[in-house]
Amino acid sequence: MILNEEQLLLRNTVADFLNKEAPIEALRMLRDKADAPAWEPELWRGLCELGAPAAAQPEEQGGLGFGAMGMGAIMIEVGRRLSASPLLSSAIFAQAVIRECGSAQQIGQLLPDLLSGDAVATVACQEGTHFEAETIRCFRENNQLTGCKNLVIDAASADYLLVTALDRQGHLCIGRIAIDAPGVAITPRQLMDGRQYGSVSFTHATVEEWLEGEQVVSGFARALDETTVMLSAEMLGGSRELLERTVAYLQEREQFDVKIGTFQALQHRLAQAYCQLELAAASVYAAMNALDSAADNLAQYASRAKTLTGDIYQHLSNEAVQMHGGMGVTDEMDIGLFLKRSRVCNQLLGDSAYHKDRFATLRGC
Amino acid sequence: MDERDLFRQEVREWLETHCPVSQRQPIVREEQIWAGSQATFPSADAQAWFEAMRDRGWTAPSWPAEYGGGGLDPDQARILEQEMARLRCRPPLYDMGLWMLGPALLAYGSPEQKATHLPRIVRGEVRWAQGYSEPGAGSDLASLSTRALDAGDHFVVSGTKIWTTRADVADWIFCLVRTDADAPKREGISFLLIDMHSQGVSTRPIALISGESEFCQTFFDEVKVPKANLVGELNEGWAVAKELLKHERKLMATMESITEKVDVGLVELAKSRLAVTDQGRLANADLRARLAEHLMQADALSDLNELIYRGMKAGQLNPALPLTLKYIGTHEQQRKDELMLEILGADGLSMMSDTPELDRMVRNWAYNKAHTIAGGTSEIQLNIIARRGLGLPE
Repeated sequence: MILNEEQLLLRNTVADFLNKEAPIEALRMLRDKADAPAWEPELWRGLCELGAPAAAQPEEQGGLGFGAMGMGAIMIEVGRRLSASPLLSSAIFAQAVIRECGSAQQIGQLLPDLLSGDAVATVACQEGTHFEAETIRCFRENNQLTGCKNLVIDAASADYLLVTALDRQGHLCIGRIAIDAPGVAITPRQLMDGRQYGSVSFTHATVEEWLEGEQVVSGFARALDETTVMLSAEMLGGSRELLERTVAYLQEREQFDVKIGTFQALQHRLAQAYCQLELAAASVYAAMNALDSAADNLAQYASRAKTLTGDIYQHLSNEAVQMHGGMGVTDEMDIGLFLKRSRVCNQLLGDSAYHKDRFATLRGC
Repeated sequence: MDERDLFRQEVREWLETHCPVSQRQPIVREEQIWAGSQATFPSADAQAWFEAMRDRGWTAPSWPAEYGGGGLDPDQARILEQEMARLRCRPPLYDMGLWMLGPALLAYGSPEQKATHLPRIVRGEVRWAQGYSEPGAGSDLASLSTRALDAGDHFVVSGTKIWTTRADVADWIFCLVRTDADAPKREGISFLLIDMHSQGVSTRPIALISGESEFCQTFFDEVKVPKANLVGELNEGWAVAKELLKHERKLMATMESITEKVDVGLVELAKSRLAVTDQGRLANADLRARLAEHLMQADALSDLNELIYRGMKAGQLNPALPLTLKYIGTHEQQRKDELMLEILGADGLSMMSDTPELDRMVRNWAYNKAHTIAGGTSEIQLNIIARRGLGLPE
């Protein structure tokens, strides 16, 4: 449940790199650019040179073998700096879908380019507020796919999409579709976090190949849970950063001739938030550990991690704005960027209410 | 198999042999074995279990063997704990001396004090009470006014202590007393061990909202206490007290596992009493969501404990982390109690029904209100977390 020597080293290396190449100002510049790319190519190249997209994958499969614990440590650092890159969409989600749902041949052909970062893929699986296998309205017809997906991360900037669909028998399968394939229409949207998402409609869109077979249902569920855990790690990083920035501000800001951090009303609110933060952190580490040890109740771990990090990220972002006073509502302060990112993260891959409900069902409530 | 595995196997076999089946179920308050000259055993099985553990020194597994303890290292102690949990063995002995005084004596006691008191604690021969709070000194403990006057070879102690757990049956009490009235608050306090059978000691039980009276007020009327009973240096009792409070905080955080184990199984309780949908879910969606929240928090707390343990072992523990446990643990327990009461509905409103199990649950709900007050109130905990944990200014 805690990082080993190698994982600590990896985390520190990535943190140093991000401090230099992707501090929060980088997100600001990205956000304010006219064409608003999903990420800076320079930054992504640097991350790939460090091996970040291959961090989790075992060495015998061409990865660096740091496991989910290692990738989670990276995502916490990413969350602290709001660094924009396709780590979540491609290096985590798309990789997991191919690894868990693909045939040996597909894995051999597709995974290496995602591990090196030479290719970027994203997963289109959401039609409402979260993925629900029972309500999919994207259908497979021979080598074509028809239907719509929303909130696809980095949609317009990826090389290809992995799209969940049902075949004629109602079985879940996943179509690999190039973004410029005939029949694909992407409506890109920059959301309040400054990042790029897209709604995608498929009209008899040409599918390069299908990931299909018995393993797809459980494999996709696992890939989704894995991504949920990694997103939770990012949210944990953001929450920690908010707490630390707020504590620092309270140590320095003076009113009534004293540091405002001496006020018990503020101290107790932050202490309570800190308790909740550490419960969320323990849940994230336990979930990363569950991934690495192939625990059979991964879904419970994932839903708990997402709910607790979602709730504390939202709460701490509100508290941080309030405790920064008037400065907290200015765009000049970074607090607002975390506030907005927290709301987007809460919606991605199912919000707290959804995950709480799923957890309740899993626990027989 | 490495040493640890061998030890685990040995422990498992030993427990299988020595823990009677009747002692492998959740503990209820009436069947707890409290130490002391007035100790009683609810059954022959309970006595056999206690004696077996006592004879191995496993009533105090990690204390040094020279004082009668088990002499286990932290890993071994944890293995014993895990194996006992696995078999659901009841705690063999209950005593404040075991939980709090012992660790403080190990750190601050003289060789004579350790040799005199520790073995008797391990063997459960003496029941200890804690004399900290006073009617005028609660959260502001350092303002205590029970005084010990120097009378040559002994002190003369006068004053009163409150919330002394079962002082009416205790044999000894460890007390904070004022030995220098002129020094600043924290610098005039000493730590004294007092024989409750001494002339001038009297007690009065306090009735609680749970219908019980576990706590007493204890009065000292010119009680003679030998100077050999001073722990640590004169006027430096605050350091001993702080050491001891650390153990109390730890204890309070795990209160649920040590005290009453009515393992309520809230989900089962709710489903057996309330409407359930065709899909087998609780029909009350609001309650269902709050139950899920509680279960998540409880799981997270157990992961946090694990994380702290592993962090400590690897030497990379953030010292702020353990400060959170008492606050989190006691509040989660109360949330659970409230959910239980809500699920019981009108059936949970009597403390004197004809279902003892139900009564016990309801009494616990009331009793556990003390957990966020005793051992440092939640508000004091938050002060500590904010200042020592987060580094906010005093």
